[in-house]
Amino acid sequence: MTRLVTLGLGILAAGLALVAAFAITSLVLIVAGDPAGEVWGEILSWPESRNLTNIINNATVLYLSALAVAIGFRMNLFNIGVDGQYRVAAFTAAVVAGEAWLPGYLNTALAILAAMAVGAVWAGIAGLLRASRGVSEVISTIMLNFIATSLVAYLLRKAAVDAEGSNAVNTKPVPEGSRIGGFSIGDGPGEVYGFVFIAAAAGFLFWFVLNRTRFGFDLRATGRSTTAAVANGINVNKMVLATMCLSGAVAGLVGLPILFGSQFSYGSTFQSGLGFAGIAIALLGRNHPVGIALGALLFAFLDEQSNPLQILVGVSPDIVAITQGVIVLTVVISYELIRRYAVRLEQQRVARALAPSAPTPPPTSGPSGEAEEVKA
Amino acid sequence: MSTTTAPTPATPGTAPVSVRLRGIGKRFPGVIANDDINIDVRRGTIHAIVGENGAGKSTLMKILYGVQPPDSGTIEINGTEVTLSSPADAIRAGVGMVFQHFMLADNLTVLENVVLGAEKLHGIGGRARAEITRISEAYGLDIDPDRLVEELGVGARQRVEVLKVLYRGANVIILDEPTAVLVPQEVDELFGNLRELKEEGLSVIFISHKLDEVLTVADEITVIRRGTTVTTVTDTEGVTARKLAELMVGSQLPSPSTEASTVTDQVLLSVRNLSLPAPGGRPLLDDISFDIHRGEVLGIAGVEGNGQAELVEAVMGMRPGTTGTITLAGTDLGPLSNRARRESGIGYIPEDRHRHGLLLDAPLWENRVLGHQGRAPSSRHGLIDRRGARDDTLRIIEEYDVRTPGPDVLARALSGGNQQKLIVGREMSGDPVLLIAAHPTRGVDVGAQAAIWQHIKNARKEGLAVLLISADLDELIGLSDTIEVILRGRLVGTFDPGAVTPEQLGSAMTGAGESA
Amino acid sequence: MRRSRKLAALLTAGILSLAATACGGDSDNGDADDPSTGGGDAPSSDIKVGMAYDVGGRGDQSFNDSAAKGLDQAVEEFGMEPQESEAEDGEAETAREERLRTFADAGYDPIIAVGFAYAASVGKVAKEYPEVHFAIIDDASLEAEPNVASLVFAEEQGSFLVGAAAALKSEAGHVGFVGGVETPLIQKFEAGYVAGAQAVNPDIKVDVKYLTQVPDFSGFADPAKGKTAAQGMYDAGADIVYHAAGGSGGGVFEAASEAGAKAIGVDSDQYNTADPAVKDVILTSMLKNVNVAVYEYLKSIADSGGEEFPAGVTTYDLSVDGVGYSTSGGFVDDITGDLDEFKQQIIDGEIEVPTAP
Repeated sequence: MTRLVTLGLGILAAGLALVAAFAITSLVLIVAGDPAGEVWGEILSWPESRNLTNIINNATVLYLSALAVAIGFRMNLFNIGVDGQYRVAAFTAAVVAGEAWLPGYLNTALAILAAMAVGAVWAGIAGLLRASRGVSEVISTIMLNFIATSLVAYLLRKAAVDAEGSNAVNTKPVPEGSRIGGFSIGDGPGEVYGFVFIAAAAGFLFWFVLNRTRFGFDLRATGRSTTAAVANGINVNKMVLATMCLSGAVAGLVGLPILFGSQFSYGSTFQSGLGFAGIAIALLGRNHPVGIALGALLFAFLDEQSNPLQILVGVSPDIVAITQGVIVLTVVISYELIRRYAVRLEQQRVARALAPSAPTPPPTSGPSGEAEEVKA
Repeated sequence: MSTTTAPTPATPGTAPVSVRLRGIGKRFPGVIANDDINIDVRRGTIHAIVGENGAGKSTLMKILYGVQPPDSGTIEINGTEVTLSSPADAIRAGVGMVFQHFMLADNLTVLENVVLGAEKLHGIGGRARAEITRISEAYGLDIDPDRLVEELGVGARQRVEVLKVLYRGANVIILDEPTAVLVPQEVDELFGNLRELKEEGLSVIFISHKLDEVLTVADEITVIRRGTTVTTVTDTEGVTARKLAELMVGSQLPSPSTEASTVTDQVLLSVRNLSLPAPGGRPLLDDISFDIHRGEVLGIAGVEGNGQAELVEAVMGMRPGTTGTITLAGTDLGPLSNRARRESGIGYIPEDRHRHGLLLDAPLWENRVLGHQGRAPSSRHGLIDRRGARDDTLRIIEEYDVRTPGPDVLARALSGGNQQKLIVGREMSGDPVLLIAAHPTRGVDVGAQAAIWQHIKNARKEGLAVLLISADLDELIGLSDTIEVILRGRLVGTFDPGAVTPEQLGSAMTGAGESA
Repeated sequence: MRRSRKLAALLTAGILSLAATACGGDSDNGDADDPSTGGGDAPSSDIKVGMAYDVGGRGDQSFNDSAAKGLDQAVEEFGMEPQESEAEDGEAETAREERLRTFADAGYDPIIAVGFAYAASVGKVAKEYPEVHFAIIDDASLEAEPNVASLVFAEEQGSFLVGAAAALKSEAGHVGFVGGVETPLIQKFEAGYVAGAQAVNPDIKVDVKYLTQVPDFSGFADPAKGKTAAQGMYDAGADIVYHAAGGSGGGVFEAASEAGAKAIGVDSDQYNTADPAVKDVILTSMLKNVNVAVYEYLKSIADSGGEEFPAGVTTYDLSVDGVGYSTSGGFVDDITGDLDEFKQQIIDGEIEVPTAP
């Protein structure tokens, strides 16, 4: 019953946020003199199957990114460094898979493990600095993003292979046998990444570890109150390190659907900025694996549907960046409003439940029902 | 300003009314609200408002100070009906408030603190200094405007707060639990100041639950229970604390006093030469040694900030850098982590339940797991046992009389007393041999207080060693088998609670007897 | 608590784009309407050209702009109907593919992809739409596709000439090269420049510096980095520095101005587009006439009445004036004879310019 109410309130909050975001975006369009109706008509039209494929694929990538961010968020750690972590990790995976020391899917598995390990180490640096020296993980992960960029650039130059006639810089391609196949939906070109199942499994594991294990309990307890965690035997420094590593390991997966599903190498055109989108989506999804999935789908949907705007409606697809930004803001606001409302609701419920039967002892004093009657 | 009013000798019952509250009502979901509060505060009197925690005193004062608007009722100040929608309104109407927690900037001087936010009144220079000196002398506050606040003791800081209020032209001063932070001697000084204020024709509203103090200083006493005014005593002669307390709770008052001794000669907790150095200062803990036996309650008395919190944290393993040995039932706790210490049999009721005891935004059953996540019934094989934890939460709710609709309610939704009962229940689970209780009844209502006292007595009877830290001397005297006084990180005296008086303890706590 | 470039970008995008639209709402797409409304003298054609720019798009003062110039010229002369779209920074591969597909679905033919970042996308989409024609600039990896024209440039040849110019003009016998991002493409500039300088003076010293490495493309848009790099070279004794660093080149010119030395521009005649305060330091510019390539490509389609589309690799080199050097400012007037001689030798194949350092 209360769970349903909570869920309902959550959906209400998200719904309100979306409506507000769309209204604000429309206002921007109208003020700028652009055809708001046409823009929304284009964005909200039902995607063709090939677009649907793209949406699912991009959502998969965004989902993993947001999941990585959410692990930190659940402990009040702001892992801003998912961006750097996934790039270092994707590069590592590309090199490992490209070298193909192992045959077939063993090679894939090794590359995935390598990516997770590298992501964990990269994030772990920030965790270690935080745990041992109290360096804010926000600062250190941002700095590590810069270092990641330079490091990958430096190493990519060494690992790059030249393709005939091409000006692109790429690592050795992943051999055919180690690629992760996809499946088609509808009749358009393109396949949904097979990695989508790995992402779903990651989401389930996220839920299970956080909600069912001792480690997850410690993590959430630390997130809710560091002071209470310390007082109750949780080694917060250890948790910081472990959580950052876990977050980094998941961040290591972010680039892999692209690597094993479509691009097969790491190079100059590899998608960047995914870590930052992940922050927004984690906020939107309230750090819940299902919420994040919906948020990732929404962001991927908006990205995909906005792409042709410039060609078909003559409006820059940047308008969708506005929508996404506004969604993040309105979501934060509406979640907070709903949270307060829910707390009040809960307190009222407690008061109601206790009012008729539970006068404070000793019972000889006036029953609390008295006040109720006077009030009424 | 009060100087324009001719000093009126206090004549309760006849002086003009400076604050008149009629039918004040305020409702919050789930908490006790104000309902039909009627109070007359007369000019030149000290008017005490007493009531148990949660009776609605704080809400009432917030209404009077403009922090919250009332849902119903009227406020008249000096004969004029006013609407107070902010503290600024209240100050304009001549109402000032001294909070329990001082709002002073330590690194500024008294002058700077006083003029802060009131620069328009007398500037920030010589005129302001002259005004502060004048007020200080007029009311015997003994404040030097140019001293840094950080150099002042608690009592002086409180007087600075009073001065701040007077400086802003208040003729009605509200003091919220002003004695909670003071030792007995300082309390007497404060009362002297308050009497000066009323001699000058000001009205003082004094909020407290320490009934002896109230009887000492107040001219009139209003008792609040369950958010409404029960009665106003205009003649304090012949009224006893016991009578007031009964008015407050509406029944016989529970007492903390302990039954027959259960102390055995078996040492459970042994602390030897415990020290905690502070970088560049005097040590936070200085060579502390004591034993607690099976079935013994050891009370630690002291003015807050003299090392009590550090002592508890050292025993709990939360303070790196401590030296000395701590042995629990023969086991050296030194190398053990906080969690290992808990699991070796320490139950811990922390001083600040919101910060250290609970996850406010988590359901009760998760709060049951907190601190016990490594043990049955909370977890099994590294997995949280939700069913086991919920069932055990139900047991605690039942046995410890936690008033809640169920284990899924957020901890935040419970009243302070019920939160504390949940903590006590949790900490008594898992068969502890040592219970550390830091201010276990702070901020809980009388009903819950009695219940918690009873649980501590039961623990003692069952053979636990109990380390009790409290600022409430009556509680210490009533529950402890032995009382140690802590001062500046050192144990400075051992007292027999059966023979000691609060005044003796107070002297030891402030170091008055130290020179001997 | 937060902190991220992207997030901040999301949040500020609203304000910025409002401002942008308010100030210059016609810059993005208004051109699309010009030909049809331009009056009776404009020829008309039913050829619809889709133009997919790289990051920066029209207005980047660099190579997207150059492509846009070629498009504008073709639109004016042949009355084609253009439509443009530009890439977002760090976008997904699928976004580039979708851009091309959207053009194709909307009936645009040909579709010109500006920049080698489109190589994979064009390769993929060209197969999906065999009846639509594509062109890609700066990439020759799609030679095998029958419906793709690859428009590439002999940057090394143009760079050879400015390298020779630098060596002829250098009094210190010491010159420099600042590359934006170390890609094979920019390395072609370096290789040609060094070869040209050494052809004049075998003992010349050439400092080489790249601002960033792939995949960090900020080296094309970071004047501060460009300035620092060039300053280092001037301090070390170089008196002429050639930049192939896009927007970072502005910093190179500034450094030259402060050092009282010279610099060489790239892609377009930067003497005409640079900040007037520094234009006098621009000895010459290596011209990479992307506009010529785009225009020529569209012209051949227009000439056939939209029936025939070029395919395969077309290299725009010195022989067709696809690359070259500029003479604005008159600083190289005294050596044009020497330079033109080198040019002829390259065209004749007597000099073979290397494409990699």
